[in-house]
Amino acid sequence: METLKNALDFSDFPRLDLTLAASVAVFLLVFPFFSHSSFAMSTLIQFLIFSLYGMGWNTIGGYGGQVDLGKAQYLGIGAYTTSVMLLRWDTPFWISMPIGILFSVTWSFIIGYPLFKLKGHYFAIATIATSLVLKDLFEVWELVGGSRGIEILAGKYQTPDFVHLIFKGDDYYYYVILIFFFIGILFMNAFRKSRLGFQLRSIKDNEDIARSLGINVHWAKIKTYAVATAFVSAVGSFHACYVKNIEPEDTMSLDISILIALMAMLGGAGSLWGPIIGAAVLVPLKSYLKEWLGAQAGMVGIDLIIYGAIIMIISAAEPRGIWGMVEKARRRKRN
Amino acid sequence: MALLEVTNLTKRFGGLTANDAVSFEVTKGELLGLIGPNGAGKTTLFNCIAGLHPIDAGTVHFQEQNITRLASHEIARLGLARTFQIMVASGDLNVLENIMVGCFLHTGSRMKAKAEAEQILKDMELSDLGGYLVSELPVAAQKRVAMATALGTRPKLLLLDEVAAGLNPSEIEGITAIIQRIHTEMGITVMLIEHVMEMVMNLSQRVVVLDYGRKIAEGDPKLVVKDPNVIKAYLGERYAKEHL
Ligand SMILES: Nc1ncnc2c1ncn2[C@@H]1O[C@H](COP(=O)(O)OP(=O)(O)OP(=O)(O)O)[C@@H](O)[C@H]1O
Ligand SMILES: [Mg+2]
Repeated sequence: METLKNALDFSDFPRLDLTLAASVAVFLLVFPFFSHSSFAMSTLIQFLIFSLYGMGWNTIGGYGGQVDLGKAQYLGIGAYTTSVMLLRWDTPFWISMPIGILFSVTWSFIIGYPLFKLKGHYFAIATIATSLVLKDLFEVWELVGGSRGIEILAGKYQTPDFVHLIFKGDDYYYYVILIFFFIGILFMNAFRKSRLGFQLRSIKDNEDIARSLGINVHWAKIKTYAVATAFVSAVGSFHACYVKNIEPEDTMSLDISILIALMAMLGGAGSLWGPIIGAAVLVPLKSYLKEWLGAQAGMVGIDLIIYGAIIMIISAAEPRGIWGMVEKARRRKRN
Repeated sequence: MALLEVTNLTKRFGGLTANDAVSFEVTKGELLGLIGPNGAGKTTLFNCIAGLHPIDAGTVHFQEQNITRLASHEIARLGLARTFQIMVASGDLNVLENIMVGCFLHTGSRMKAKAEAEQILKDMELSDLGGYLVSELPVAAQKRVAMATALGTRPKLLLLDEVAAGLNPSEIEGITAIIQRIHTEMGITVMLIEHVMEMVMNLSQRVVVLDYGRKIAEGDPKLVVKDPNVIKAYLGERYAKEHL
């Protein structure tokens, strides 16, 4: 009950933030009714997808300060669970998605237990390693298509199919992920006010102090990692239905993991709006780089250079990203 | 009844014995001072009791329960809270939120945690500072926030490590009054490390003196300061001349 109230209560934000957020929400709701290119539509869907990944990352990476560079493995588990179950047993999305979450969370507990014994950079590197190992496993696992991946055959479904989440037009996918997006924001709004949310922020600040306040630091991290994982896995399931063709290389690659972390960090790790702001900046940039620059000879890889530069600029200028700058300015004005 | 019972506690850092077979008790309801020169092993003793360091020998009992091998969060949950000598919260939690973290130990409800934290803010005379970051506050207020955060866990025993260090005389007076209130009004047993002698003398009912990791004296503060060993080890000739 109180959780629900916390989720719906945004009153601790200044009116300006809420006005802006409401305007963006209205824009997102009515956008499909206005004439638009399919490029704009798919970019917006990518924006919503990556905002959600970023929100998931933000629990452990932002509020908890544990830089996680292996989120793609859970995207992969969610996407593969939904695809395989759909192909083999015609399983509805609404069943395969929770099962995917179950697999992901189980895996997150298995690797989370040893991983969170590690600190700082070692933790970050270990998350990369586990993700890459899982990707390699999927690449040689013939049952799920090996490196070719698997394709969802949309033809046999009567569209729009809300049970299996198979649609012809992007508009349907857009509204489904938009609902996920709003739920994600409400969830994160409740999370940041929850006991676990407070404990994590204390852990991020100083683990010894956190322990002295009765917080089981290791367990709090594992629990939060599972929450982050569930988020990413659910959206990964959606991603599978949306792109209909998944392979290890593009669902579980290191690029994706880095992009997820980067969006949250650029927008503002440990803040409610951060991942959304980050996705709003980076997704169009990513699409642009891919569509235009990527096509030019010799320009392959320039996106990675640009991401690298962004990481360096954030860590040098303001570790708490764009939102951190906003908060700093506000604090200065108030004091 | 002994609330805390430390028996032959020994802690080594490589070749250095920071605590050498230290034994003492804290009785329920008392206010015990822990003094000794720099590097005597006072902070280390707190860290060993609170489960931050594994100890090499000896035992620690809290409320008759053996807590020697418990993790620090488990010890905190039993009702043993502490402040840190050098560390204060410096993250993005503001003062009120920091205290709420402590309160969340016994409630899952944000509203309850917040109400309790606000009450503690008032008791600690910090009401106006709830919205600030700890790093924005002067040292005296930071020390009070550290105490307030520990109080949030509703401790039975509170270990305070040099909460008066770096404060001016009027601030020391203020913090002395607050510690007195924690002890008498809130009924919390307190053990405090302090270099400010006036404060130790005013507050403590009993003191334990450490030197080079060993306990060299224990008892009534007025008698302990007359102990030649203590004078030699800690107080120095000058203080001895002035006060004895
Ligand atoms: N983590 C550690 N690793 C190695 N040596 C340590 C560690 N902590 C403390 N020491 C050493 O143990 C001895 C006791 O230190 P401690 O901090 O307990 O003294 P203290 O009595 O609290 O001194 P002060 O009054 O200056 O705070 C010192 O020689 C110190 O250098
Ligand atoms: Mg000390």
